[in-house]
Amino acid sequence: MSTLAALARLRAVHTGTAQRLATVRHCHLSERPMVFIPLRLAGEAAAPLAAMAGTDPGHPRLLVVPQPRDRDLRFAFAAELAEILLPYFEGLQKATETVERRGAEPYERCVDAPQVIVPGRGAVAFVQLLGRSTRFRRAEGPYAVHPSVPVLGRWLTFLAQRAQYPGSSLLLAATEALSLHWATGQSTLEDANLASLVGWIDPPPGMTGASAAREAEDPLVWPPAGPATDPGFDTEVLAPAIRAYEETRSDRAAARVAEAVRSQLEPTWRLMWRAIGLLGTLPAAPGAAARWEGDRTSFTGFAAQLAEGGPPQPKRDGAVGAASRLARMERAQASYDAQRAYDDPLVMAAYRLTGEAFTGTVVATEPDRTEGEGRGRKLRPLVTVRTTDPVRLAPGTRLGTPERRGQQAEVVAIDGEHVTLKIVKGMGRGMAATPGAVPEAGERVCYAALTDEFQPPASLPAPEETPWTHGGPPPEYSPADDEPEEEWS
Amino acid sequence: MDRLDRLRGPVPPRPHDARAIAALAANPGCARRAVLDAAGVDKDATAAHLGYPAPFGQSPFAITRGNAFESLVKESGCAELLRLLRELLGLPIPLAAYTDLGDVGGNPSAQVRHSHTRKLLDKAARDSDDAGTLYDHPLLRLEIAGHSAYLEPDVVAFRLGGRFHIVEIKSFAVVDGQAEPDKVAAAARQAAVYVLALMNTLEELGHDPRRVSHEVVLVCPENFANRPAATLVDVRPQLAVLRRQLARMARVGAIVDELPPELTFDLAPDADGVPTRPVAELREAVRGVDARYAPDCLSTCDLCFFCRDEASAEGSTDLLGRQVRDALGGVATVTEALGLADGSLTPGEGQEEIARLLRLADRIYAEVG
Amino acid sequence: MLEISGTPGNCWYAPGVSETLDDLEERINALRREIRQAVRARESVLARSLRAELRSAERAWDQALAVHEPVYEPGDETGGEPGHGTAHGPGRESAHERGDRHEAPGSLVPVREQVHQALTLLGVPAAAKMIVAVHAALRAGSLKGAQLASLRRDEERSFRTSPFARPYYLCAALTDRLSASRGLLAVSTWPLEQRVVGPLSPRVDFLTTAIRVAEHIMRMVGAGEQAPPSAQRLLSRLAHNIPGAAPETGRYGRGAGLHLVDAGTARGGPEAGALVVDGFPGSDPATVVKAARAELEVHAAADTAARAEIAGRARDRLQDAERLFGGTVLGLARKEASR
Ligand code: SF4
Repeated sequence: MSTLAALARLRAVHTGTAQRLATVRHCHLSERPMVFIPLRLAGEAAAPLAAMAGTDPGHPRLLVVPQPRDRDLRFAFAAELAEILLPYFEGLQKATETVERRGAEPYERCVDAPQVIVPGRGAVAFVQLLGRSTRFRRAEGPYAVHPSVPVLGRWLTFLAQRAQYPGSSLLLAATEALSLHWATGQSTLEDANLASLVGWIDPPPGMTGASAAREAEDPLVWPPAGPATDPGFDTEVLAPAIRAYEETRSDRAAARVAEAVRSQLEPTWRLMWRAIGLLGTLPAAPGAAARWEGDRTSFTGFAAQLAEGGPPQPKRDGAVGAASRLARMERAQASYDAQRAYDDPLVMAAYRLTGEAFTGTVVATEPDRTEGEGRGRKLRPLVTVRTTDPVRLAPGTRLGTPERRGQQAEVVAIDGEHVTLKIVKGMGRGMAATPGAVPEAGERVCYAALTDEFQPPASLPAPEETPWTHGGPPPEYSPADDEPEEEWS
Repeated sequence: MDRLDRLRGPVPPRPHDARAIAALAANPGCARRAVLDAAGVDKDATAAHLGYPAPFGQSPFAITRGNAFESLVKESGCAELLRLLRELLGLPIPLAAYTDLGDVGGNPSAQVRHSHTRKLLDKAARDSDDAGTLYDHPLLRLEIAGHSAYLEPDVVAFRLGGRFHIVEIKSFAVVDGQAEPDKVAAAARQAAVYVLALMNTLEELGHDPRRVSHEVVLVCPENFANRPAATLVDVRPQLAVLRRQLARMARVGAIVDELPPELTFDLAPDADGVPTRPVAELREAVRGVDARYAPDCLSTCDLCFFCRDEASAEGSTDLLGRQVRDALGGVATVTEALGLADGSLTPGEGQEEIARLLRLADRIYAEVG
Repeated sequence: MLEISGTPGNCWYAPGVSETLDDLEERINALRREIRQAVRARESVLARSLRAELRSAERAWDQALAVHEPVYEPGDETGGEPGHGTAHGPGRESAHERGDRHEAPGSLVPVREQVHQALTLLGVPAAAKMIVAVHAALRAGSLKGAQLASLRRDEERSFRTSPFARPYYLCAALTDRLSASRGLLAVSTWPLEQRVVGPLSPRVDFLTTAIRVAEHIMRMVGAGEQAPPSAQRLLSRLAHNIPGAAPETGRYGRGAGLHLVDAGTARGGPEAGALVVDGFPGSDPATVVKAARAELEVHAAADTAARAEIAGRARDRLQDAERLFGGTVLGLARKEASR
């Protein structure tokens, strides 16, 4: 944690309200997000108990498995969830735009993509397990399920995998999205409680964030946001209701289970929309839109793969795949970090504290300075900046700047509070700088040793979404494998 | 040891089960916990009486599921477990003997059952292969700060090639070779308690404790079927932590000696077991032993809400977790850190660097926030 | 254990005339909250009385609801409250459930008789769970585990009142310590050697169980009957744990489990075309018998010797009733002390 984030937490303790960690919103926020709150039966890996889902705050859909140990009821739940999610995914595939590419065929990309928002990391893991437990099911043969179930499984798997991709907003955990933008006066462990986190950020009138957060810890006031339920609720309410259902299998008993879980889900449902509202108060960062474009490409690619009848995602990456995936993730993370810093002075501040970035005032420039001879002659302006930040950069370090994203500069010399830079990239071919290309004396500038080599948004689908028809051989999928018989219990 | 008994008051010491013992290693730096545990104080009841009931509970569904899975693995003379051990460790076919050490008839005391376990383990350690292979429900014992803790035995010990292994059965799923790391870690910590107890038992019987393997067999349901699968887990690191913590607790006397002689955590329960000790008095007693609160306490110690409130009242930066403390270079209180940040406080010896960083952070925050 | 009665008709709580469903619901919710508060504060007495109140309120709710609308019995295809968004609906119950409720062949036979049938088929002491499974698979029976819970105690009482009055008793298996083995049931007419449990006996009895089940299926097939899928399932489950009994699946000998180091191991699947039942490839009864016999062979001598020794001791030391139902705790304690 940076000193800045630590200080923000201290201030939150002191003032009793959450402190901002960002001036802009670094995640995309859909106009019509799908809120999904799953609950799981305690003690089971992926036995759904209930879920609340929908795109309209006023009309949540409640799904219930009145006996979560019953396999048929679980798959009925999956089919019902598919009824909600699949039309949402499919509807977004209708409108497309043509993306032109230099030196390659243009391709079609969906103009929007789904955004599923869940309460926390636990729910993301649950989405992944639910996807794993449904994507290998078959619609015919023994243990047949509704045809929508395996399709749902593949979508959920896609979302869960994409959620690991730094900066992706297709599947968002509300607690993580909020924590990215606000610091509370409690530990990160406690921040995993959505009610408590929202309490800090947006306490009810007459209450401090601190006291709202404490109150939010009482499961009687704020039921846990799932997927785990409150053990007290399980003992006192849920267990008797499920037992009654087990004995009678009546609709009345099922309704009683439904009412029980509704009481646990409804507060979180409202909380989720409050969280979305809070994120909506921040203006979107430019990088968020660019990353969303990547999400849209990925979504388009996966939808095509599904339509072409590709096999379900394999259970595990091969060793080679896992390694290259890791390297890809690291690059994506570095680029995501850089983009956020360039978009947001509060994020940049952490780098200024460690001396990897600095902000200052331009005191001198040589805008028309050139280097080299004849045809090799290039425009290489010098800029001297005065800063009080503790710069820790070696001469020769490449720097970027939020003010001129296309440019790169190199550290020439550091002398006390004066840093001299040479602009080495993004000056164009001319021998005279275009107006505004070189900062003028008196201008406030920021330079950072962060490279955002993010791919131009209109590039190919990310490698992990390469359709199997185009990519290297996918891991062998043998239909005789033992998946359909797994009991999912 | 009567000093510890006085600290607890006239109630029997709270028994330690493997889970509780494993949790001892969670916050080894906390003197409060060390003293309360060594004295066998019922921390749960103490926390409740102080008005800070512990936030833990186990769902009946989780309990049922755990029991059902365990009985599946163990039914028909551990038929499933035998298959797993044959697959995983190449247990030879003739080694299939099953002895239920818990099935002694009636409901005898822990001592009786423990001596039964000792007798059979001794025999097993002496004899060649035909003495037995699987030992279900061994009742083991561990010394904790001078008290004998009997471990309720839901594990199986088995012997192969003269070595004993512990089998730990857990009902969390392993999906495609992955399980929740927290759960695996907790299972390893618990298994380490059994390994240590088994080592000590063998040693007491005059056998080489190294005959207990530090590799335990973890049995979990695989994927979404109820089918058990086994994995070997090396618990050496957990054993080391556990040993250290138990040694610390054995030396808890040094901490106890420093405490005022009249100090006690006695809840003074009445005939119905309802505590009558004035809460203010108990609070003072508990506060008389230093705590070291960390957010991890929230999942490991019954007193967590009490200690958190205490840390909060003191304005301690412990409240915010290790990451924040590390970032603050160990500055102990919120007021102090904020004072250094806005410059109203002059940094003490060795605080110059963190003070400089905090002031800079404060300036930048004001500039852009 | 307290059960909530969800069936109107056995209600003894008359709902107050003034209490509407809404009122009741509100009260139920409030009570639940209070209960959980009480439980958390460990006020068990208060929690109990609140729970009692909750029970009666719930009953009242059930009854009030019954007045409002007809009650749908399970299986009633016309019922169902639409719009509740639950995954439950008429016709969704599993085949297993239906089988349980509508056709329960053999249910006119007393429980002890059914248990006797199953045990006789197996010829070895068995746990309630196995008895239920065998009876369901091979006799299409519908025993419930709970029905067996008090069986041994009832039999013992009957025996002690008038010994040997019945042709057989369902009795205990005896441990090495001559006490009743936890959870195992046996038949009194069996020789003691068949009823005692030495260290290898659980394995031997398990293998014998597999052989008996396989042989029974072979007899059924021989008589031109088709073995029900449940029988095949049971056989597969047993075969799964006997080396060489299940079709080669790569499972036996495949290191399954948690991959702490070697993530990414390829895994084998069952052979193409193999009949698959409940996740286990279908087992051939003859193969099961052969494989189980092969392992039995390994254990037989040691097990027989151990059984003979225990049985001999039992004959020496135990009275009739103890021989059937196990030595008493007191006797055991005395023996423990004398050793
Ligand atoms: S909760 Fe308190 S007593 Fe328990 S370990 Fe933490 S600081 Fe120590």
